[in-house]
Amino acid sequence: MTTPAWLVEPEARMGPCACCGRRTKGDFVEKTIAGAGRVLRATMFSSDLAGEDGYLQRADARVKVGSALALLLVAAFTRHVSVLVGLYTSTVLAASASRVPARFLVRRVWLFVPLFTAVVALPAALSVITPGHIVVPLGTWFGTPLGLTAQGLTAAALIVMRAATSISVVVLLTITTPWPRLLSALRSLRVPRAFVLVLGLAYRYLFHLLTSITDMYEARKARAPRDHDLVRGRAFVAATAGATFGKAHALSEEVYLAMVARGYRGQATAIDRRPLGAIDLLVFSAVVAVTLLAIGVDHVVVH
Amino acid sequence: MSWSTDVFVVDDVNYRYLERFVALAGVSLTVRAGERVALLGANGCGKSTMLKLLAGLIVPERGTVHAFGTELTEAVLDDDQFGRAFRARVGFVFQSSDAQLFSPTVRDEVSFGPLHLGFECSEVEQRVDDVLALLDIAELAERAPYQLSGGEKKRVAIASVLVTNPDVLLFDEPTAGLDPRTQEWFLDLVVELHRAGKTIVCATHDLAALDRLADRCVVFSEEHRIVGAGSPAEILADVSLLESANLAHVHAHRHHDRVHTHRHDLDHHETECEHR
Repeated sequence: MTTPAWLVEPEARMGPCACCGRRTKGDFVEKTIAGAGRVLRATMFSSDLAGEDGYLQRADARVKVGSALALLLVAAFTRHVSVLVGLYTSTVLAASASRVPARFLVRRVWLFVPLFTAVVALPAALSVITPGHIVVPLGTWFGTPLGLTAQGLTAAALIVMRAATSISVVVLLTITTPWPRLLSALRSLRVPRAFVLVLGLAYRYLFHLLTSITDMYEARKARAPRDHDLVRGRAFVAATAGATFGKAHALSEEVYLAMVARGYRGQATAIDRRPLGAIDLLVFSAVVAVTLLAIGVDHVVVH
Repeated sequence: MSWSTDVFVVDDVNYRYLERFVALAGVSLTVRAGERVALLGANGCGKSTMLKLLAGLIVPERGTVHAFGTELTEAVLDDDQFGRAFRARVGFVFQSSDAQLFSPTVRDEVSFGPLHLGFECSEVEQRVDDVLALLDIAELAERAPYQLSGGEKKRVAIASVLVTNPDVLLFDEPTAGLDPRTQEWFLDLVVELHRAGKTIVCATHDLAALDRLADRCVVFSEEHRIVGAGSPAEILADVSLLESANLAHVHAHRHHDRVHTHRHDLDHHETECEHR
């Protein structure tokens, strides 16, 4: 092996190692990778919350999944905003009682609500979509008064609160239940085992591949200065996606062989253990009470 | 061929990946019950492919592989009874622990094998607890694999195989990437397993651990053939064989005012240089 001459000479083109260059914020690639890192941290935080010694954390995942389904159905069929507000409040109270910071739950829910409901709810409040008594005039449209109607705002509030309550229930379920227990509960509820197995594998390797992508980005960052060229940025993203796809493919083959080597023959099997206890009965009773109360109040208010 | 003592008989096997890249070229090998065999060779010489053939995960293009007296073919491995019995008797610890640990938790991972081999649930739970305690990883039971260190992953991977109590254990580069303490732990475990009567086949290029890993070594050339076999002492003494298989090279360096050359592998460097 002969060392090339340029490798033994000091590099002449290197600039001074001092802060005199242009400083700019990160590009879209960096922001995307940072986002992936945040997902990992959020998941770690969620798994920490699921490990807390709260009421909901101690309850069996099967009870929680069944309760969540019941609450989602009630939220979907409730016709009065005040009942939904009550349901939503009960999820926040349940979170607080289970050592989940209420602020964390509220922030997580209201981050998604505008995204899912704004497009549908806001036009519904307009007089052209929902005619009625205009409470916020916005001018005229082809000679007719345009504005937000009381009926429209009620309908919009109903949509928003329904979404908020549903998301709150699902978030509460997922942050108080470790992912493996959630999968186990799905199996108990007759979700096909193969489907649950694929979900588990996807979740498991998501982190592996996410780490691999972060490593690739850091390797690039370690070798080259920050590049603001969008075309090169897109080329890097495409190359990373291609490399990750290749790695995922190779990994999937190895994983399949590892499964076969331990007796997998196309039929997924798992142990569904743990008998139900007193805390499960408590959670189940509380959910039944809240559900019946919500149905009763909704019925009385509407009629 | 004596089927009572021969666990694996590999006869003139050829294998190529994608019908292009040669991995094994005319390889023959016999592994007897209770033996510890090390498959030695440089990267890409075909050691891992040989382990996959022995584990019945791939079948040869040409030649035959017999396990416990039965030729391993796709049809035989698809047979429910044979497939189940074979998987229960042969355990394979992959080089990449990340590929082997695919379940959401360590407990699920370790219980995967026995559950799929038809063990009773109560027995599976008992065995999982026992093997986790044996490998000193009981506290990891509810953890997710991505939360484990490299050494912990390796322990879980070994636990996931030991739990079915296989007669034969195949290890692919078992000491690669492990810290010294975990390497020591693994070598002690191999000695214990061998004492318990297990047949052990290891693919490795770790010559330093050879005498504790194996009773017999088989050397693969970079041309994907077997070029030598013998006890660890015989193989380590055969410098030209190790050099030709790219397992050792001649190394030159300076001691004060003097340059000298010697073999560069295991602890030869220390012993040679101490006297200078």
